Amino acid sequence: MIVCVAVVGHQNNPLYIQSFTDADDALKLHHIVHCSLDVIDEKVNNPKKSGPTLNETFLGLLYPTENYKVYGYLTNTKVKFILVTTDLDVKDADVRNYFRSFHAAYVDAVSNPFHVPGKKITSKTFAERVTNIVKSFGFSSAA
Amino acid sequence: MGREVAESCVDSILTEMVSTYCNRFYANKPELAARRIEAIGYQVGHQLSERYTMERPRFNDHLEAIKFICKDFWSELFKKQIDNLKTNHRGTFVLQDNKFRWLSRMSIDPSENGDLSQDNPEAAENKAAQMTSMHLYFPCGIIRGALSNLGIPCAVSADMSNLPACSFVVRIKA
Amino acid sequence: MAPVAPRSGDAIFANVERVNAELFTLTYGAIVRQLLTDLEEVEEVNKQLDQMGYNIGIRLIDEFLAKSNVSRCVDFKETAEVIAKVGFKMFLGVTASVTNWDADGTCCSIVLEDNPLVDFVELPDTCQGLYYCNILSGVIRGALEMVSMKTEVTWLRDMLRGDDAFELQVKLLKQVPEEYPYKDDE
Repeated sequence: MIVCVAVVGHQNNPLYIQSFTDADDALKLHHIVHCSLDVIDEKVNNPKKSGPTLNETFLGLLYPTENYKVYGYLTNTKVKFILVTTDLDVKDADVRNYFRSFHAAYVDAVSNPFHVPGKKITSKTFAERVTNIVKSFGFSSAA
Repeated sequence: MGREVAESCVDSILTEMVSTYCNRFYANKPELAARRIEAIGYQVGHQLSERYTMERPRFNDHLEAIKFICKDFWSELFKKQIDNLKTNHRGTFVLQDNKFRWLSRMSIDPSENGDLSQDNPEAAENKAAQMTSMHLYFPCGIIRGALSNLGIPCAVSADMSNLPACSFVVRIKA
Repeated sequence: MAPVAPRSGDAIFANVERVNAELFTLTYGAIVRQLLTDLEEVEEVNKQLDQMGYNIGIRLIDEFLAKSNVSRCVDFKETAEVIAKVGFKMFLGVTASVTNWDADGTCCSIVLEDNPLVDFVELPDTCQGLYYCNILSGVIRGALEMVSMKTEVTWLRDMLRGDDAFELQVKLLKQVPEEYPYKDDE
């Protein structure tokens, strides 16, 4: 189950963060997202370590914690997407599909003429699309 | 293939936007009109670069990003690539389009300087040249917006000394 | 001897030069946003968009008549149909419908369910009075004026304000009797 998704701008400014859990652990999830940013920076700045994923937008598993797995994605425009899930057995294809749909939703949200680059994404349509993508996570691995 | 509209929609809206800013809002302040037109282009370029880089790996360096503008990005907009790319290897790039579509399709409306063309052909010619250069602030803004969003702050100007060819000069800010 | 107007603009749209709608949509959006910044008042932006549309309409009518092979429509009823079925399709690639005719055939609604101008658009709370697509009403008014029909065009429904479609009311104010077409001075 996906418990948290986030969009972070190129100066590590949060643009969108949403948790999907009843438990009162928003703070903890925000902390995990925050920590993952350093991992992304390190991955991207030390390309040798990341090996075959060089320059691919999908950054793969950033780090596993005891209860979560954290995945990352970095667009050409230096925007980071973070995904935190509680599933311990996640298919790579599912995560890739998730990020592809998420990226499309993000691109449409910032295409709104009233969206100001670098400012938080407040679009209702975006929030709804994200919720749907999160719900369908793991059900479309055929693609 | 996504949604399409007739190209004349784009031509019409650009012509009207330029004329609104140059002839109605800032008739006596061309530099202000230019800044507004460039800003409109900037927003469009910023958003388009987000869309058109969606399915591709990240660029390694400035040259790769510039090449993307010359090839894929230009093709999406104009159904052709930039014809010639030059660089001084110190942050300046010159992108030449031998037949820039927006100039060849856009007829600068003679009625707008009708009185001039009869009495004073030279003034009319100047006016036409001025309107052409005003139109070019829009694509300059697009290029600057696209590159900025790809992490490359720059200044972009247009050189139209060889019409219908048009060169866009990109100076990357160190 | 009513002229036979094409019933749809599909074939014409297939034959005109087309571009990605994104470029058009985003450009229009950026213009609206810049106008809001420069003019500050939403009312003033509505007015300017309408004016821009009018200026476009009076030029676009020639292209429309040439490409559609529509000879000048006789009555307002037929004209409205041609705008909706042929005009919208030929330029924006979408079809509109005509409804809500009044008894004497001088007022109707053009209804648009799909509109490329508003792809991606969400109005912020500060712009609630904005008629985002006001350029369209100007285009229709301008184009009709060039074929001797003085109209008043107003928005009745707007999807950006939560309605289920876009609805433009077109009211014929005056039909100037047409003179033989001749070129005035050139």
